[in-house]
Amino acid sequence: MLPQNTSFQERCSTMMIWFSAGLITLVFLWLLGDLFWHGWAQLSWSFLFSSPQNAGREGGIGPILFSTGLIIGVCMTVALPMGLSTAMFLAEYTQDDHRLGRLIRGSLDVLAGVPSIVFGLFGNALFCQAFGLGFSILSGGLTLACMVLPILIRTLEESFRAIASEQRLSAAALGLSRSTTLGCILLPAAIPGLVMGSILGLGRAMAETAALIFTSGYVDRMPESLMDSGRSLSVHIYDLAMNVAGGNPNAYATALVLVGLLFIINFCASWMAEQWTPLNQLPA
Amino acid sequence: MRLIYCGYAGMNQIFRFFSFNSHHYSPETIEKSDSYQHNLVTITHLRQPPNLLFSKTMKPHSVAQPSSSLINTSTTATWLNFFFFIIIVFSQTPALANKGKLVITGSSTMAPLVSEIGKRFETVHPGTRIDVQTGGSSRGIADAVNGMADIGMVSRALKPQEDALHGATIAHDGITMILHQDNPVHKLTNEQIKAMYSGAITNWKTVGGMNAPITVVNKAAGRSTLELFLQYFSLSTRQIHAHVIIGDNEQGIKTVAGNPHAIGYVSIGTARYDATHGVPIRLLPLHDIPATLETVQDGTFPLSRPLTLVTRQQPTGLAQSFIEFSRSPAVHDLIFKQYFVPLP
Repeated sequence: MLPQNTSFQERCSTMMIWFSAGLITLVFLWLLGDLFWHGWAQLSWSFLFSSPQNAGREGGIGPILFSTGLIIGVCMTVALPMGLSTAMFLAEYTQDDHRLGRLIRGSLDVLAGVPSIVFGLFGNALFCQAFGLGFSILSGGLTLACMVLPILIRTLEESFRAIASEQRLSAAALGLSRSTTLGCILLPAAIPGLVMGSILGLGRAMAETAALIFTSGYVDRMPESLMDSGRSLSVHIYDLAMNVAGGNPNAYATALVLVGLLFIINFCASWMAEQWTPLNQLPA
Repeated sequence: MRLIYCGYAGMNQIFRFFSFNSHHYSPETIEKSDSYQHNLVTITHLRQPPNLLFSKTMKPHSVAQPSSSLINTSTTATWLNFFFFIIIVFSQTPALANKGKLVITGSSTMAPLVSEIGKRFETVHPGTRIDVQTGGSSRGIADAVNGMADIGMVSRALKPQEDALHGATIAHDGITMILHQDNPVHKLTNEQIKAMYSGAITNWKTVGGMNAPITVVNKAAGRSTLELFLQYFSLSTRQIHAHVIIGDNEQGIKTVAGNPHAIGYVSIGTARYDATHGVPIRLLPLHDIPATLETVQDGTFPLSRPLTLVTRQQPTGLAQSFIEFSRSPAVHDLIFKQYFVPLP
C-alpha cells in the first residue's frame, strides 16, 4: 500500500513540476508567436532604417532605434563604472555590519523597488529642470542609470562575495597590493556576475517607458546630439498601441524588434562571459 | 551650454563630496577588517610609504593607510569625471546652426497631430526645430506657465482661471460614448448615462439590455476628456463609481472591445477609425445626434472640444508663426489624417 501511495505522490509531483515548466514555456511561446503573427509582415530592412510617418502608422523606426541605442549607451557608460566601484566598496571595503555599507545596501533595496514613474519624475526635476538639460537623450540616459544602478550593484556585490576568500588570502600572502588583487584577481573572477548584472540592467532599461517619456521625450526625429530629445523603442510602442488609432501593426513590429534586440544582447553577453571566464579561473 | 557646464561642475562637486566621505570612512574600515586584510595592509605599508596628505585624518592607533584604497577611490572619481567629460564633449557638437527651437508639451491626444504639423513646419522653414512632448493637458498648462515649454497643448477650452494664458484653437474633436458591438443597447439617454456613471444603474437589464453588471470605464484624473464629460453630464469626480480607469483613447477602446458589458467614452475620430477597421465597438448617438466627424464639424454634436495651443504671453517670432501655420489650410490634410476636424 505504502509504496504504491508513494509512487502515486511521486507521479503527481513530477506531473506538477512538468506542468508548471510547460505552462511557463507556453506563455513565453504564445507571447513570441503573437508578436510574430502580427508583426512579421511589417518587418523589413526599410522598416528598420526609415523614419516614422503619419504619427508612426506608416514608415519605420530608424531614428527611434538610434535614439534607443544612444540612451542605453549613456545609461551603461555611467552606470557600469559607478556600479562596479560601489559594489567593490560594499563587498571588499566594508564588513557586513559596517554602518555606511548597511545604509547603502538598505537604500539600494528600497530604490530597486521604486516604481519607474517616480524615477521619471525625479529625472525630469533633476536632469531636465535643475541641471538644465531639458528633454534630451542625456537626461533619459542618466535617469535610466539611476534606475539600473541598484539592480546592477546588488548583482555585482553578490558576485564579488561569491569569490572564495582563499583567493584574497593567497593574493595577500604573495604581497599583492589591494588594487592589484581587485583588478587582476577579483574583477576577472566576477565577470560572469558583471555580465549577468549588465543584462538585467539592460533589460530593465530597454523595457522602460515611464521613466523615459518625461526625460528623453517623445520626438521621433533623428537626434543630432545627446542634447536632442529622442523617443525610445518602448515609448514608441506605448504611443502606437495606446494613443494612435491604427498604430497596432507597427506597434507589434516595433515590439518584435525590441524582443529581437534583447535576444541578441543576451546571446552576445553569455558568449562573451564564456570566452573570458575559463582564462581567469584560478585554482582555489 | 553654460547651463550644461553648471551641471557638469555640480556633478564634480557631488563626486568630490562622495570621495571625501570614503576617505573619511576608510580608517574605520581598516580597523574593523579581517586579519588577512591586516596582513595586506602591513604588507602594503612595507612596500609603499603612507600617504602623508591623508595621514592627518587617521586616528593615532590605526594602522597606516594603505595607499591602494585611496588610489581606488580617486581613480573612481577620475573615471566618472572622464565619462562625464566624454558625454559633455559629445553633447556639445550639434551639427546645424539652429534658427530656432520650439518645445511643445501637453495633451497626449494632440501630440501625434502636432508632431506631424511640426515636421511639415520644419520642411517649410529649414533650420527650425519643433520638439513635441506628451503628458496630458494639465501638463501643457503647467509647462507653458513655468516656461518648460514655449507652447502648451490643451485639448479643451481654457477655463476662466486660465484666462491669463493666450490660447489658439487649431482643430476640434468630439467625445462619444462607446459600447461593445455585441451589446444590444443602441441608444441611451443622458439621464441613463449619468445614472450608470454615478452607480444608480448597475445592470444592463434596467436600460433594456442583457442581464449583466455594467463595467464603467472612466478616464484618469487630469485628462481633459474627463473634465469635459463631467461638465456635460454635470457630474463631479466624487460621484463617479468607476470600475476601470484608463489613460489614452486607444486604451479605452481596447478595454471596451474586450468586455461586452463595458461602457466608456473616447475621442470620436479614434473610435470611428477603429469601428471601421474591425474593432468590435459601437458609437452611441447623443441626444439622437450621431457621433460623426460631420456633426462635430457643423457644430450640432453636443459633446465636442477645441484642441488649443496655449502660450504664457502673446506669441511672437517662431511660436507665432508656428501657431499661424497650425491654423492655416496647409495642415488640413494632416488634421484629417489624425481623425480630427479642422477649423472651418
